[in-house]
Amino acid sequence: MANERTLSVNGAKQVVSAAPETPLLFVLRNELKLTGPRLGCGMAQCGACSVLLDGEEVRACITPISYAVGKQVTTIEGLPAVWAAEESLSAADAAKTLHPIQQAWIDEQVPQCGYCQSGMMIAAVELLAKNPNPSVAQIKDAFTNKPPSPHLCRCGTYSAIIEAVQRAAKAMKA
Amino acid sequence: MTLKTENSSDSPITVTLTRRGFVKMGGALFVSLSIPAGLSLHAAEGPTSLDPSVLASWLEIHSDNTILARTGRTETGTGMSAYYAQTIAEELCVRPETISLVLGDTDRTPDGGPSAGFLDGMANVRKVAAYTHQALLGLAATQLGVPVSKLTVADAIVSGGGKSISYGQLVQGQQLDLKIPVTGMRAKVDPSSPEGNGLAGLDGFTVTGDPPTKPVSQYKVIGTSYPMPGIPDKITGKTQWTCDVTLPGMLHARMVRPATLGSTLISVGALDKKQYPTAQVVTKGNLVAVLSPNEWEAIGAANSVAATTKWTEWAGLPGSDNLTKAIRDYKWGAPSQSKGNPAEVNAVLQGARKTMSATYELPYVRHAPIGPFLAVADVRSDGSVIVWTHSAQLQGLRAQIANTLSISTDKVVVRWLDHSGQYGRTTFGGDGAEADAVILSQLTGKPVRVQWTLQEDLAWSSVSPAYVLDLKAALDPNGHVIAFRSASYTPHQSDARLLGAILAGMPCCLPRPGSWVATESPFSAWAYDKIPTRLEEAYGMPNLAAESASGGLRGNIMRTPGQRQQNFAVEGLMNEAAASAGADPIQFRINHITDQRLIDILNATAKAAGWEPRPSPHPRARKSGSASVTGRGLCIVVRNNAYWVGIAEIAVTPSTGAVQVTKFAIGVDCGKIINPRQLDRCMKSGVVMGLSEALKEEVTFDKSKVTSTNWTRYKILTMEETPEIKVVQISRDDKGFGGGSEAANALGPPAVAAAFFDATGVHARRIPLTPAYVTTLLKAQSRTP
Repeated sequence: MANERTLSVNGAKQVVSAAPETPLLFVLRNELKLTGPRLGCGMAQCGACSVLLDGEEVRACITPISYAVGKQVTTIEGLPAVWAAEESLSAADAAKTLHPIQQAWIDEQVPQCGYCQSGMMIAAVELLAKNPNPSVAQIKDAFTNKPPSPHLCRCGTYSAIIEAVQRAAKAMKA
Repeated sequence: MTLKTENSSDSPITVTLTRRGFVKMGGALFVSLSIPAGLSLHAAEGPTSLDPSVLASWLEIHSDNTILARTGRTETGTGMSAYYAQTIAEELCVRPETISLVLGDTDRTPDGGPSAGFLDGMANVRKVAAYTHQALLGLAATQLGVPVSKLTVADAIVSGGGKSISYGQLVQGQQLDLKIPVTGMRAKVDPSSPEGNGLAGLDGFTVTGDPPTKPVSQYKVIGTSYPMPGIPDKITGKTQWTCDVTLPGMLHARMVRPATLGSTLISVGALDKKQYPTAQVVTKGNLVAVLSPNEWEAIGAANSVAATTKWTEWAGLPGSDNLTKAIRDYKWGAPSQSKGNPAEVNAVLQGARKTMSATYELPYVRHAPIGPFLAVADVRSDGSVIVWTHSAQLQGLRAQIANTLSISTDKVVVRWLDHSGQYGRTTFGGDGAEADAVILSQLTGKPVRVQWTLQEDLAWSSVSPAYVLDLKAALDPNGHVIAFRSASYTPHQSDARLLGAILAGMPCCLPRPGSWVATESPFSAWAYDKIPTRLEEAYGMPNLAAESASGGLRGNIMRTPGQRQQNFAVEGLMNEAAASAGADPIQFRINHITDQRLIDILNATAKAAGWEPRPSPHPRARKSGSASVTGRGLCIVVRNNAYWVGIAEIAVTPSTGAVQVTKFAIGVDCGKIINPRQLDRCMKSGVVMGLSEALKEEVTFDKSKVTSTNWTRYKILTMEETPEIKVVQISRDDKGFGGGSEAANALGPPAVAAAFFDATGVHARRIPLTPAYVTTLLKAQSRTP
């Protein structure tokens, strides 16, 4: 079919059929049933839909699928495997591990409604890859001032996110 | 077996344990509602279950020692699923990890009730568990041949007389039934409902009788930080959210809304079937939707159809810049509610040597979830309806849907799944995409998923109404307040109608405009009981543009409703009175209250904040200049057996109007704390929501439409704007349980306004304290000598 494209999502090749301008978010959710990223504003103003594209956070709600071809797409469903690969864990250990960001989000009891938290964790993974030991000010800056928009949480979990990022940073250095 | 307990009217309440039969495998004790006499499940109100003869059990004890509990209330994100498990575990003497919960679903839960009404829900499950505990002790006494008085239970093992048996063993091989006495009614549409929202029975069923419960001194689970059960699945992507529901043959819908808040449909735009081959347009009245099996095609087609759809012109709003005038111009009649003594208060005010008065204003704000609302509905050919939603009032929503479709409530099942927070928006069972979804499913004959857009949610969802409040106080020569009078004026705030039903011209519940004195209500005690006399009046008016085809700006409750707004004014005047008396704001409050719990939490929070007693404003206060100036301010809230204190420290830059909250201390005494960790996070997140309202939030509109329809126009607090937050908790074993989450958001606005006065010497009597408002306010004050 004319609209068939091959994507690399969470380490697996996926052939999908969608018009080239289709936002990656709808393909991940509706075709590949990866429902971690969620629709928020639909115009890159909130961060609920964030995924990693070759390790860089993008807003899946405005990223055309054509832009994702040839790049590695990572959603929160794929974070455990990312960590297992970084740590060269055995397949058995990899199956029962969580990414330290995810574990920190549980340990700090971050989510309230949780709608925005998939995007928050994606932003945290990107931040710690670039800055393994961020200060509170640097965490606030990353979640607020990095284009295209602040990551917004209406339940008000920002303090818990800051603590979880710091906890994960420690765990990843250990 | 029969258990007898005494209720308050001294008539014995009988709880009967019966054996339904024996089973080869497993076994269980089923705990169900004993429906009160006179309430027929076959009446028009309808039953809870799909099968009217079978009610879902409230609690089940299984032979493998696991426990299943069901409640119509849901998890709204504040940790209630943890607290319910803790409460049941405490009374049954089991570990909370052995309990799984079914929440919300109208066909799988027995009781109904609002999710926000946690304390009532908790009181219910405590009694359910306590009755069950007594029944299990009775079974164990028979099995072990040991009297109940000699039995102890730990971790689901009953021991006595040197013998022991587990709960699982007690029910092994049997099907046992325990009926729990309840009172209450099914939710139904009722125009005469006292709450004014057009619905009755939203509280669901309440367990009656007083089964013996565990003394607080013996608690092992309540008071510990049991984690919120749903978090791991949310972190890994395993949770099925409302937005993840897919059904065979399901159509994705996007709504085409009127051009203005009051427009009516002239003609529907053309659909280009070449470009959008699978899309279809559906209309009913002013409800217009575009549907397709493919979500992206539905989006494109809806945008295309919307561009050429014609609507009537309409301009019936006053514009948000003229809001206060519009509220002032309304012909107010008698107050909706009045508390206090008018003659006495007015006499003191007239005779006093010194009085002070002030007007406070709050704009329309809204719940503004990160995830716009959506719903999935399947109206089947046999007339049955199933709806998936994240509403916090499933039975009320069910009643509304049945009313809209003019069918029996029996025919409607509403299922709950997680979705974005809603902060009170659905407490009356309304204001989601559910009506859109059921109407479109009925018209297309297919399951339909309706996803609102952010612009739609920020323009068309219900709003927390604006307030204008006039306050006046009389002071004695020492500055002590000797009389206090408040009058609050507000548009409608109980409009729970479903937008889709309004626009389609289908039946809706009929809310009545009105208001209430929220600072002195069943939810809240008047804090300043050393003020000798007071009068509080609440005036309500209809929605702005209520006569329009959409019902106008539909006012609805939002977290800490009414009290949030009224308390802003009360605390504002108390801070102004303290300044007028030259008194430290904390000492001034202590001079006006007697409740030691309030005094204790004031002192504890002040200590945590490093509060140095002195009057406001700060001696270095300044209302001009480009260097920032700092201030600190305080407020209290008393709500739902919880005593709250907020202390804000802020930095103001007079030349730019920028206000940054640098530190915030929040203290609460909410009686016995159930879960310190979850309370801590609710307090911190409540501060964020309150500061967001204090500094940024305002629904703006012109004469025809809402204009604050994306996150750059409806601004909410960001992480960078979040201050360092200190939390103070006081737990008391002898004061019952209090509301430990809700009112945390009511502290931000009055505390920040007080800090603003401390920093600048200028009273800020409206929120939000945006740079534009602050610069205007400070410039005006700088001109006055």
